Amino acid sequence: MTVEAFAHSPDFAAIVLSLKVGATATLLSLPFGFAAAYIGTRLRPRAKAVFDTFVNLPLTLPPVVIGYLLLLLLGRGGWPGAFLRRHGVQILFTWKAAVIASAVVGFPLLVRSIRISIEAIDDGLVQAARTLGAGRLDTMATIIAPLSLPGIVAGSSLMFARSLGEFGATIVVAGNIPGVTQTLPLAIYDYAASPRGDGMALALCAVSVAVSVVVLLLHEAIVRKTARKG
Amino acid sequence: MKNRLVAVIVMLWNLLLLPAALGGEIRVFAAASLKEVLTEIAGAYGKSHPGTRILPNFGASGTLARQIDRGAPADIFLSAGPEWMAYLVERERIEKRAVAVFAHNTLVFCGPDAGATKTGKMEDLPALGRIAIGSPKSVPAGAYAMEALKNAGVAAGVEGKLVMTRDVREALAYAERGDVDGAFVYRTDLLPGRGASIFFAVPQPLYPRVTYPMAPTAEGAGNPEAAAFHRFLGSAEAKRFLERRGFDTR
Repeated sequence: MTVEAFAHSPDFAAIVLSLKVGATATLLSLPFGFAAAYIGTRLRPRAKAVFDTFVNLPLTLPPVVIGYLLLLLLGRGGWPGAFLRRHGVQILFTWKAAVIASAVVGFPLLVRSIRISIEAIDDGLVQAARTLGAGRLDTMATIIAPLSLPGIVAGSSLMFARSLGEFGATIVVAGNIPGVTQTLPLAIYDYAASPRGDGMALALCAVSVAVSVVVLLLHEAIVRKTARKG
Repeated sequence: MKNRLVAVIVMLWNLLLLPAALGGEIRVFAAASLKEVLTEIAGAYGKSHPGTRILPNFGASGTLARQIDRGAPADIFLSAGPEWMAYLVERERIEKRAVAVFAHNTLVFCGPDAGATKTGKMEDLPALGRIAIGSPKSVPAGAYAMEALKNAGVAAGVEGKLVMTRDVREALAYAERGDVDGAFVYRTDLLPGRGASIFFAVPQPLYPRVTYPMAPTAEGAGNPEAAAFHRFLGSAEAKRFLERRGFDTR
């Protein structure tokens, strides 16, 4: 295959789509991830345990379960799906569904990293800000958010990496539509099912490994750099 | 203590080495669209051969061919198209002269009963939203459908609308749930009252006739029970089951 033919093929589109879905899912999740991490540090032990269980659930649930539950919610029967459709928004079998699937599956990784950072903040700093007259929101914006930046960046890169590998939930809610919702793992799956697909499956596996290695190396570099600073 | 550990390991190892097919077991790898009819035929065969157990493995014909090529234990292969049978012949997993025709089928376009849009011909398909189709890379129903789309001149019009499924039955499931506007499946896949019905039969000159070849694998050829079941698959009794399910046997 020539370079130009490859650039127009659904396989190349799958690589681009994976990056786009991962980035969108991560950016969309950031405010919610920060809020969830902050709430997690403020709760009483018992409430915290319940809250943590729910936040971490996607980490241990089979992704196909998440996909199926999302399908029921966003499909014909579910009220969120019906509500969105009334307003002309189609989610299932569009790339938006892939974003939602990735966001749900990667969310716990984001929250964990941010939470570790928030917990590491010296409580004296927060107390000092409050006694100097800063409100809750003010303290959050000027003390907690900047000091937890390493966790935010680390969590985002980890979540992005996880999104690139999302398969189980995505294939259920977004389907396998070449050029539209077929992400890199789905394209590999398509080739791997076919006896004549080995060459392309392996080539795309190589791309997948390369992208993951780069993202994880970046993640490590960021973590190391910020750890030195802290 | 140590001796006992060794004994346990040896025992487990022997379990692993047990022949995959115990006496009286026939492992049949069959196209997903044959699920019901083959289960019925195997049931009838089991009644007259009580010692025999038929272990079916249903899936996309391409995926099954791949599994057999990679050494999955199979005695008989029934494919939904000649392509993957030819592949295994080429890979010397199946003897060419052992291949016989099991049945024929027809490709149809179906859709959800509740669907607002009922299409009547190939030319209407580009107006639909999403269409489910078995991945042509491994699912014969998808390969037939793709050929029909190309020959009808609507392949470009449906680009970006085709949801690729792992086998033909998954495409049907999408249509039954109403998640897509329509799906390409075989006439025999549709069961009444499941939520989807035929919109139109894909016109015949657009795609080659759907043919199910069957053959014992190299392994199965040496298994007399598999050979006997393979003969039964070509019998008049098996044909009656096929016809009752809507397959074409001539």
